[in-house]
Amino acid sequence: MTDAILTVNNLTKNYGDNHILKGICMTVGKGEVISVIGASGSGKSTMLRCLNLLEKPTGGEILYHGNNIQDKKFDVHRYRAEVGMVFQNFNLFDNMTALQNCCVGQIKVLKRNKHQAREVAMKYLDKVGMTQYINARPSQLSGGQKQRVAIARALCMNPEVILFDEPTSALDPEMVGEVLAVMTDLARSGLTMIVVTHEMAFARDVSTRVVFMDNGVIAEEGSPDVIFTNPSEQRTRQFLARVL
Amino acid sequence: MKRVLLLIAVAVIALSATGMFSTGNTAFALSSEDDFQTVTDRGVLRVGMEAGYAPYNYRQTTDTNGAVAISNQNGEFANGYDVKVAKYIAEQMGVTLEVYALEWDSLINALNAGTIDSIIAGMSPTEERKKSIDFSDKYYESNLVIVVRKDGKYKDATQLDDFQGANIVAQRGTFHVDALSQIRTVTDAEQYDTFALMITALKSNVIDGYVAEEPGAIADCAANSELTYIQLKNNENGFTASEGDTQLAVGLRKNSSLTSRINAILATLDEDARAVMMQEAIDQQPVESVELGFFGNVAYIIGKYWTKILEGVGTTVLVSIIGTLAGMVIGLLVGFVRTLPEARTKAGKIWQKIYNFLLSAYVEIFRGTPMMVQAMVIYWGYALVNNGVTMNTFVAGLLIVSINTGAYIAEIVRGGINSLDKGQFEGAFAIGMTHRQTMSCVILPQTIRNILPAVSNEFVINIKDTSVLSVLAGFIDLFAVGNIIILGTYRTFEAYLIISVVYFILTFSITRLLRLLERKLNGKANYSLYNSDIVSETPATAKGGIIND
Repeated sequence: MTDAILTVNNLTKNYGDNHILKGICMTVGKGEVISVIGASGSGKSTMLRCLNLLEKPTGGEILYHGNNIQDKKFDVHRYRAEVGMVFQNFNLFDNMTALQNCCVGQIKVLKRNKHQAREVAMKYLDKVGMTQYINARPSQLSGGQKQRVAIARALCMNPEVILFDEPTSALDPEMVGEVLAVMTDLARSGLTMIVVTHEMAFARDVSTRVVFMDNGVIAEEGSPDVIFTNPSEQRTRQFLARVL
Repeated sequence: MKRVLLLIAVAVIALSATGMFSTGNTAFALSSEDDFQTVTDRGVLRVGMEAGYAPYNYRQTTDTNGAVAISNQNGEFANGYDVKVAKYIAEQMGVTLEVYALEWDSLINALNAGTIDSIIAGMSPTEERKKSIDFSDKYYESNLVIVVRKDGKYKDATQLDDFQGANIVAQRGTFHVDALSQIRTVTDAEQYDTFALMITALKSNVIDGYVAEEPGAIADCAANSELTYIQLKNNENGFTASEGDTQLAVGLRKNSSLTSRINAILATLDEDARAVMMQEAIDQQPVESVELGFFGNVAYIIGKYWTKILEGVGTTVLVSIIGTLAGMVIGLLVGFVRTLPEARTKAGKIWQKIYNFLLSAYVEIFRGTPMMVQAMVIYWGYALVNNGVTMNTFVAGLLIVSINTGAYIAEIVRGGINSLDKGQFEGAFAIGMTHRQTMSCVILPQTIRNILPAVSNEFVINIKDTSVLSVLAGFIDLFAVGNIIILGTYRTFEAYLIISVVYFILTFSITRLLRLLERKLNGKANYSLYNSDIVSETPATAKGGIIND
């Protein structure tokens, strides 16, 4: 694929003798919505965190539009602004209101002025249905509301791709729906997304490709139809049988 | 064999030389042979004394009776026999006199560091002191006596033997202690730091009496009507004392060229002239025989010293506030540097190791040594390096409190940063913020809010702990004001009680103020819903709105 946004070649990650990733190869094309599924401890989140260098890869390479992101001359900060991330625990800045959370990156990293930043922030906060709460601090919001603000914060940077690291896992069940609704909306608008998730319905109905990880490797990948109805690997079948 | 002996001899000489240097006995960089030249060139003779050892040297609040302003303590004047002799010497030399009030124990240090040119402080030329400094010929000779209560058991004593079994004490660091050991075992408990304390102890029946030199005893009894003293003739019916002990002489640097000049001048001051000076000094001592009962004394002290107390409060609060703020800046900087991400390059890594080591050393050293000791090391170290020029004590105090507080707050900041969720860093990094942006926008604001209670605590501690800086002569904080009041009134208990009440009012009100600030920093408890034309739904339907697109 020549217009790949991200190309991952033989990515490995060790913590001492503990091998978490054992050679991941993957490409991410424009407009793809990739769901990464697999059992806990299979390396899904570590892989995702390696993609924007929150974890330092032990080996292999990650290319962003053909440029190695671990190159010494590569501008990591610029890259991270273009590859957004939404965390399981939201990671909203506790000292700022919802609006400030969405503005600070635009002002500091993208060098937008306050007026522009606010305008963009209001647009995306509206998109996630949080306009009313722009003056609330994270401690005053519910989990679902926080995650919607976190998604707006990522969108404000106008990223080329957003990484979602189990965005609904820390939520109470009744709040999962509102966050998934926002994500579905984004997927349909054509945003490139990589979503580590345990929400099988989302993986099946919304994503364009499903990646099944097991024990530090990609065991199988394919369209949701193939993975969910006719997986070729025994361990994929076993995993799906457990979670569905 | 000879060679071995020679080696040992060299080693011994080398060792003793370094030993002497470390105790400040040898001549320092500045040459004492030029002392006279320096003094005449400068046109000023700097004399150090306690200004708290009546009638030799005492302080007053005006320049009456020819008192001399104390150069390192604004608004204080020194007078007494020492001051009169010092004035005489300066006059004969044709220079002006400057008086420096210093703690008894720092006088020799100050002389050797070059802060003062001479010590005229009722100091006796003992053998021990002669190892560190030179002395002029005597300018006074006195008897050792014992001060007792007029209504006490020992009021009728006539000779030293009458004091067997009595609880007599003496001033620490003086030959009085050696003299006292002729009648009793003297441990630390029998040594007091100031005469004011011994007077207070005697008046409150803690002790039976104390050793003093006759002029001092006369002055103490004049100021405290319930006291009297037992005249004892040295080496006859009293203590066995050497001439080196009962004489007073001017302390000078080793081999100072001032010594011979001062000896020549002292030779022109005969016995009669000295007696006249001493009588004047005793007569002129500002006697504050305050006998007004407890509340009367308190009212008297407040009435007379309230401006001084306010000054002390000002110094204490100012040094604590600025010191705490500066310490917070230092602490935040150290915290910032210590959490920097690992450097990418090899040189960067080595550099990072070096400054991390230096910062740890700073924190450990300043947390691991008492502030009073740091104050002494920095203040006198500075004077030694700069040929006797001392730091302004206020600046020195500020510096020491800031550096000390910085070391503590650096640790508080480290804890504050560690206690934040790691996700706060990751959230910032994930939108492309640099470490500096992450720290200044996200981490430090939260850290500051979190550490505020601990910093308030440091502030309150600083208010109290700046009192140890009174070891820097001329650092007049609230505690030092307490000491000044005692030197002037002999009311130890009342003075410290007033000072402690003022301290409490300070810390209590400041704690309340900081609590208010904390509450403010926590932000509003409520937020208002933002109303706009775009959204008029409740959050519950907002969710529905997105799902049903």
